[in-house]
Amino acid sequence: MVDPRLTPFRGPALAFASYLLLQAGSAAVLFAVKLGTTPGQVAEFYLGSEERFAAPRSLPGLLEVAVPHLLAVPLVLFAAAHVVGYARALGRRAFVALVALSFGSAAAGISAGFLVRFAAPELAWLKLVAFVGLEASLLTWAGLLVAIFAPIGERSRGRAPEGAGAALG
Amino acid sequence: MRFLVSGGPEAIVRARAPVRVLLAFGALALAALAAQRVLQGGLSPGGVEAHYLAGGQPLPAAALWEEVHAGAFLYGFLLFVLASLLVVSPVPARTRSALLAVAFVATVADLLAPFAVIAVGGWGALRVATFVLAVGALAAHVAVAALAFGRNGGNGRG
Repeated sequence: MVDPRLTPFRGPALAFASYLLLQAGSAAVLFAVKLGTTPGQVAEFYLGSEERFAAPRSLPGLLEVAVPHLLAVPLVLFAAAHVVGYARALGRRAFVALVALSFGSAAAGISAGFLVRFAAPELAWLKLVAFVGLEASLLTWAGLLVAIFAPIGERSRGRAPEGAGAALG
Repeated sequence: MRFLVSGGPEAIVRARAPVRVLLAFGALALAALAAQRVLQGGLSPGGVEAHYLAGGQPLPAAALWEEVHAGAFLYGFLLFVLASLLVVSPVPARTRSALLAVAFVATVADLLAPFAVIAVGGWGALRVATFVLAVGALAAHVAVAALAFGRNGGNGRG
């Protein structure tokens, strides 16, 4: 625990980290099942396929996915970055780099679907790279939250910070 | 986080009005979620099984994971905000811990219960129970936070 004043927030922060992992895991499964794992499969998802009787994605369909993600993803990243930043668990450069990776990947991932469908199908690789970047950043934020808030090593150091008795406090 | 960790009683008093509005929206979100689930037949085991095993055919895995993905955001964010607010309220630490533990287990179970319903080919009652417990635990968070951030609350640590 970097700052003992954060100890009472251990429970909420660890629950949030668990949910970050659940979001990252479910996103990975959905991406693999729906879009595929290669640029060709991703392009086919957006452009449709006569062989598979799949229609191209419509603009309303793309917006239906993009709009909730434009709210939810930055909000989750902001909350995670805010807590980690407050705890000063990373150096300034590393923190800024992780924030840039997170928000950059989110922006690229959301816009890549529109680009593949309406501008440049060859940009399907961008969708894949952006998704991997966002997943990596979510895992990193979750890991940092666990590193900051989990009571690992506190007992062995022989000191119990304020409120440490309440594991979910 | 700054106001919660080091804002002090004055900052918390100043935050009461927006916190109350936030709690009102939290309550509305839970009510809307409950209404949505009721309309889908989610409060009866038969209704749950009819939804996930319509005509004996299980919903595709992608549909289940989409539900997990959206639900993880709703439950996770709501729980994070509400539980963090309770930390700076006069609610005793044990009560907070118990509420959070129940809410966390119930919400995760509610997100994953549909997989059990499909795997077993029944057990609709499980999803009913997890949903009632999850929404009940989150509603309890809202209620306790509303009490704590009421006229004379929210000015100390439990």
